[in-house]
Amino acid sequence: MHDDLLGPLPSRLDRRQFLTRAGWTGLGAGALVAGARRAHAQPRVAYPDWIAASSNPPKRGGVLTRASSWDPPVIDPRLTQSIGLHQFAVLVGNRLVRYAFADEASGPTDLTLKGDLAESWQPSPDHRVWTFKLRQGVKWQNVPPLNGREFVAADVKYCFEAYAKEGAQSFTFQEIEAIETPDKYTVRIHLKTPNVLFPQNVAEPITILFAREVLEQDGDLKKHLIGTGPYILKEHTRKVKVVLARNPDYFDKGRPYFDEYVILSTPDAATRMAAFRTGQSDIIWLASPSEVETVRKTNPNAVVQSYHNTLTPFGVALAQDKPPFNDVRVRRALSMAIDRQKQADTLFEGHGIIGWGVPYIYYQDKAPTLADLGPWWQYRPAEAKKLLAAAGHPNGFETTLFYYEYFPQMTSQVQLVQQDLKRNLNIDVKITKLDYTTYYGRYAESKWDGMSWGFQSGHAVGLDERTYQYMHSKSTKNFFRVNDPVIDQLTTKLRQTPDRADQRALTKKIVDREFDQVLRMWMPYDNGFLVFQPHLRNGAALALRRTDGYGASAIARVWADK
Amino acid sequence: MYKYVIRRLMLAVPVLVLSSLIVFGLMRVMPGDALTALMGESGNIGERELAKIRKDLRLDLPYHEQYLLWIWQMVSLHPGDSIFTGEPIAVSLGKAIPVTLELAALAMVLGLVIAVPIGVLSATRQDTASDYVGRVVAVSGLSLPDFWLGTLVITFAAIWFHWIPAIGYVSFWESPLRNLQQFLLPAAVLGFRLSAATMRMTRSTVLEVLREDYVRTAWAKGLEGRIVVYKHALKNALIPVVTIVGGQLGVLLAGTVVVETIFALPGMGRLTVEAILFRDYPVVQTNVMLVAGTLVSLNLLVDLTYAWLDPRIRYR
Repeated sequence: MHDDLLGPLPSRLDRRQFLTRAGWTGLGAGALVAGARRAHAQPRVAYPDWIAASSNPPKRGGVLTRASSWDPPVIDPRLTQSIGLHQFAVLVGNRLVRYAFADEASGPTDLTLKGDLAESWQPSPDHRVWTFKLRQGVKWQNVPPLNGREFVAADVKYCFEAYAKEGAQSFTFQEIEAIETPDKYTVRIHLKTPNVLFPQNVAEPITILFAREVLEQDGDLKKHLIGTGPYILKEHTRKVKVVLARNPDYFDKGRPYFDEYVILSTPDAATRMAAFRTGQSDIIWLASPSEVETVRKTNPNAVVQSYHNTLTPFGVALAQDKPPFNDVRVRRALSMAIDRQKQADTLFEGHGIIGWGVPYIYYQDKAPTLADLGPWWQYRPAEAKKLLAAAGHPNGFETTLFYYEYFPQMTSQVQLVQQDLKRNLNIDVKITKLDYTTYYGRYAESKWDGMSWGFQSGHAVGLDERTYQYMHSKSTKNFFRVNDPVIDQLTTKLRQTPDRADQRALTKKIVDREFDQVLRMWMPYDNGFLVFQPHLRNGAALALRRTDGYGASAIARVWADK
Repeated sequence: MYKYVIRRLMLAVPVLVLSSLIVFGLMRVMPGDALTALMGESGNIGERELAKIRKDLRLDLPYHEQYLLWIWQMVSLHPGDSIFTGEPIAVSLGKAIPVTLELAALAMVLGLVIAVPIGVLSATRQDTASDYVGRVVAVSGLSLPDFWLGTLVITFAAIWFHWIPAIGYVSFWESPLRNLQQFLLPAAVLGFRLSAATMRMTRSTVLEVLREDYVRTAWAKGLEGRIVVYKHALKNALIPVVTIVGGQLGVLLAGTVVVETIFALPGMGRLTVEAILFRDYPVVQTNVMLVAGTLVSLNLLVDLTYAWLDPRIRYR
């Protein structure tokens, strides 16, 4: 009725006609898209794993911007090891010692220690006392209440004692028995037990030195973070951005090169990619080769570094203090029933590592192959079944596994393990996916049964952290519940072995023992790529320290060639 | 009418009390707490130290005391500090609420601008190509999830135009132009979804009203089609539409987290979700109560709007 009255009749279209036309339109569009995709299909490019430092003289100025998925939970470095904070805290503060930056390193696996706030360091003959000689003339940033006063040995003592007293870094500093400051520029640290690796521990990015005045004034460091570093924290707006301004009084004259470093809180991966494509972000981390290819379609000049992990942070943790996982045969059977190569090929598009926990660079030159990991790490389902039967479980058993999805592929990875164990060993794994807080609380409490998708934290570079601290039965970081007297003995001995060659040999023994006993059942992990805008220089990531993460102190050496 | 409003406000009290009990209870039932989340992967916090922090934050009090303390804080308009960040909750809300309000308002405007004209067109040209297109648009809006549409919009904007809204929220007062650039795409994504239900409701109610006797009379008087539809039919067709729009506004205030995440806007959604993940009890509880209060107020406002739209309606 209303049609007749509103004016000329529009042409009628019945449902069938409409659906037919819509269907043909859709088919046509689909064919066009498919054709376009085929036309653009290209073979994969191999990207370099190292980008050498530029030989051109660095240029000053400009703003470096990075869209980051991480937000700092708090800015008090005593309270968290979160990458959200340490992606920039290490630019505000300095450590006593640091690792080589990209423009100083011979390659990504160069782990040479360099002085940061310390110029030199010497151990006592028994390695229980370490003496650090501080750089002279270093000033705190020129902001109240520090106002550029000189950095002295008493600051180190105050800071280390505060770290040891409470908070997330206390483990590292609790091995300190006493600290002496014989003069303004000398710090003498007495350890409870000998540790040849102590300088590595104070080179970790989480050990930055903060200003005592702020802690005394505010009672915490949640509002102000002041250090001696290359950048001053100018602004921190939660869930928006962190703005760092160049510190004109930085002791390393001429550096940093950028006037500002802006970290934009960008939780969504697609948005981070869009930000890079449109030039709003200068650095991006991409997980897979296909993502790199996608970005290079719009940004063909982007510089890509193919990153190669030296360890995997994730693996299956077993309640190995209880049956059935206290039986090494069960652990070995489980390990042999899991097809790791399939995970690496399918989930990480072939750009992943098979999985091991101690960074290989501490015991050999090349990344281990699957064969190097030993017999229990090969995919041999028939042998696995026999071994499980010999351990008294011919018909399998039921168990549980809880996890938190750290990255999107993890759920598929957990399900692949579940399928492998069911198909090959008739083990029924009941999976529970948890949110982070629940997962972490349960995992760190170490009172769980069955299995968990375990982790080791991402910040640590040092060998001590990766061996003694994560594997010694008495360590509070022994999340995988390793309780092996041989490991205890070897990791303790490692702390007393100063010679680098001996350290390598000892580390290899620790790793071999771990593999043989399947103490931590490591799983494949992606390698990823660091992608830079073409004008960036000296930003290459190094082993265990990515420029966009815990290795952010290297940003002080990055500059723009434009 | 005043009596009606007062009665409705009185009825809101048990609703809010019930909401407070539910959110307080649910947060305590969830495993883990803010301290666990804060300490992250350090793995070396002693029980004694944790107990001390819990005591400082009064998390060691019996639940009923914690509840009463919180209610007192809410009533006295001092909701306390975030356990996780130490920031006063009022300050966090002061930053987040304007973002979400602006997003919701723009989305609502865009949604209505899309929905009402297309709904009317679809109704007045029933079973024509424009009607089918309108219905397809409506069904698409209902079917396409925000995360998909938002991701698509931002990805294709980057590929085709080499442009996306500037990341790093800027308030309207700081830079109106940049602020509107930042809000245009997310508001369009949200508005498209909102428009779907409104469009369908507008279509069906307009169709119904167009069959009423008084509309036939209007036609018979020789009035122009436009006047008949927009002056006589549309206003009377709007009551169910207003109900839907009111409900949607409430949903918007609480449910923009996906769009806020994609477009990196620091609104209420992200604040609340982060607080839930980190078991930041006071922040979650305050935010939920704020949303509950807003929904109650919106429902009342919608009910009061009916009388303006249809003078026959009386409140008793």
